[in-house]
Amino acid sequence: MKKYINKINKNNLPVIVSTLILINFSFGAFLYNFTHDPYTTDIIQRLTPPGEGFIFGTDEVGFDIFSRTIVAGKIDLFISLSGTFAALIIGLPLGLMASDKTKNAERIMKVLDMFQAFPLLVLAIVIVTMWGNNIRNVIFAIILINVPRFTRLIRSEALTIRESRFIEVAIAMGASKTRIISKHLLPNILGTLLAQASITTAHSIVVVAALSFIGIGVVPPEASWGSMIRAGSQYMMTGQWWMSVFPGLAIFFSVLSFNTISQYILRKYEQI
Amino acid sequence: MLKIIFKKLIFIPIASFFVSSLAFIVVNLTPGDPVEVIAGGIATEETKQAIRVELGLDKSVTERYINYLTELLDGNLGSSFYNKIPVLDSINKYLFDTFELIIMSLFIAVVLGFFIGGLGAYFRGKLPDKLTNIILSVIQSVPDFFLGLLLIYFLFYKFELVPAPIGRIGLSDIPPEEISGGLLIDSMLAGNWETFKIGLKHALLPSVTLGIFYSSYFGRTARNVLGKSLNSKQVEFAKSLGLSKFRMFIYALVDARTPILTYVAILFAGLFGACAIIETVFAWNGIGQWAITKILMLDIPAIQGFILFAGLITLFTYTFLDILITYLDPRIRKKTL
Repeated sequence: MKKYINKINKNNLPVIVSTLILINFSFGAFLYNFTHDPYTTDIIQRLTPPGEGFIFGTDEVGFDIFSRTIVAGKIDLFISLSGTFAALIIGLPLGLMASDKTKNAERIMKVLDMFQAFPLLVLAIVIVTMWGNNIRNVIFAIILINVPRFTRLIRSEALTIRESRFIEVAIAMGASKTRIISKHLLPNILGTLLAQASITTAHSIVVVAALSFIGIGVVPPEASWGSMIRAGSQYMMTGQWWMSVFPGLAIFFSVLSFNTISQYILRKYEQI
Repeated sequence: MLKIIFKKLIFIPIASFFVSSLAFIVVNLTPGDPVEVIAGGIATEETKQAIRVELGLDKSVTERYINYLTELLDGNLGSSFYNKIPVLDSINKYLFDTFELIIMSLFIAVVLGFFIGGLGAYFRGKLPDKLTNIILSVIQSVPDFFLGLLLIYFLFYKFELVPAPIGRIGLSDIPPEEISGGLLIDSMLAGNWETFKIGLKHALLPSVTLGIFYSSYFGRTARNVLGKSLNSKQVEFAKSLGLSKFRMFIYALVDARTPILTYVAILFAGLFGACAIIETVFAWNGIGQWAITKILMLDIPAIQGFILFAGLITLFTYTFLDILITYLDPRIRKKTL
């Protein structure tokens, strides 16, 4: 333990803090011993300001904001992470295919370009409302938004690396295509890919929150940061700030954490 | 130059066809049944069938697609399922409201972003650079609608600096006669400066929200591009000539115009959809808010129309940007020829 504490320094401290924040939100439901259940309302104690009894206060129907902010992280982060990784897994072969200098590759890119011409947030809203309001479709919307981004990134990264000498040598030595991709190409783009995945997860958290903010996707009584902000949004005009501010801060810190981790990964890989 | 422009323009009709087809596919090939929502839960099978026939949903998808394309060629986007208002009229009505918001937000975003990014680039590696980097990270991590709510709390509730976020003008104010549909433009055209002032006050919160939010993008780009060109050979040369630091900074700015223009164009096109939630928060009554209400009602022609419209705006903006950049940047011009 002491060995690990000694390893903490100025450079990796932000990353460690970020990871702890994310663990706090992902597994908070198991880590904390809530004094108030996140799914039962206390009708007498509505709109209680933060303080004694309720650390973060209660909302208009008497839900405890602290426990709900923590519990919401589980579902919001799950959707964002799984959507991002599915998009990465789909985007990887597409991007590698598109990095060939063939007509088909150009066609893939043209179609993806067209797709990006659409307002992506609105597209996500359309998908979730028209395909059915459930978590599966929110994840699907996240995948759909992000596959073109990953494809584009992987393509441009692969294109630069394909030009380099060591790939040329590998081809000259008679290495197979799979070997070149798995031994030479992938290790070299892994850093950029992971960094992008981290940023994309951060984006996805905001998209998920935006969806629940307008009332689709994860909806009450299930806790989610977006719907909690929505519930408090009218009260910002009358001064009951705590309903929106705490879930808003939760989004802020999660997004900041993923962005910090992404910057750290990029720096780490640039050193090598 | 003309050859390049022609090359870019010839791509537009083909792309428009793809965009309109995609708009149709996204909305029509879905498992959800809009009739269920329109008719409500307690409607009988006959009522549903009647609605289906009335809205043309009983026909096959191919038939509807051909119908949609032929109507489109006549410039007809269909009309709303619910109130029968032609979609094109609605888009016309709300377009300029959003346009005004986007222009104001972009202005704030560019000025603020340049200020922050420029500060970082000028003092690169020093304390201000690190500070601005932190500021940009913070701005980047706040969702825009949450930022909007925070501004409502502080500027409206706490310090009472701005009017209530309930729309473009106060409840008792009289809107100007509609010419373009945009409140600020119309009141300016009518010479009604009183309404213009009121409108500007109401526009402050949403445009500042979007402005701050998107300034992080400009800030990062400005920091990177300016930083790079301040380290470049030409600036070194300028330094050796004994030019002032400020002069060199101006030269670096000229060098940075291409990426900045690109960002402005991308944001301009993207904001027609991206400002939808902010419009909802501030009851702005623009095209984004209209689209969201229509989507939640499953008003298919309206959704289709909006997606098509947004796609086309993006298409035209990007084409225009391409032409502008090839005009401004001789390096790119050489490459495309």
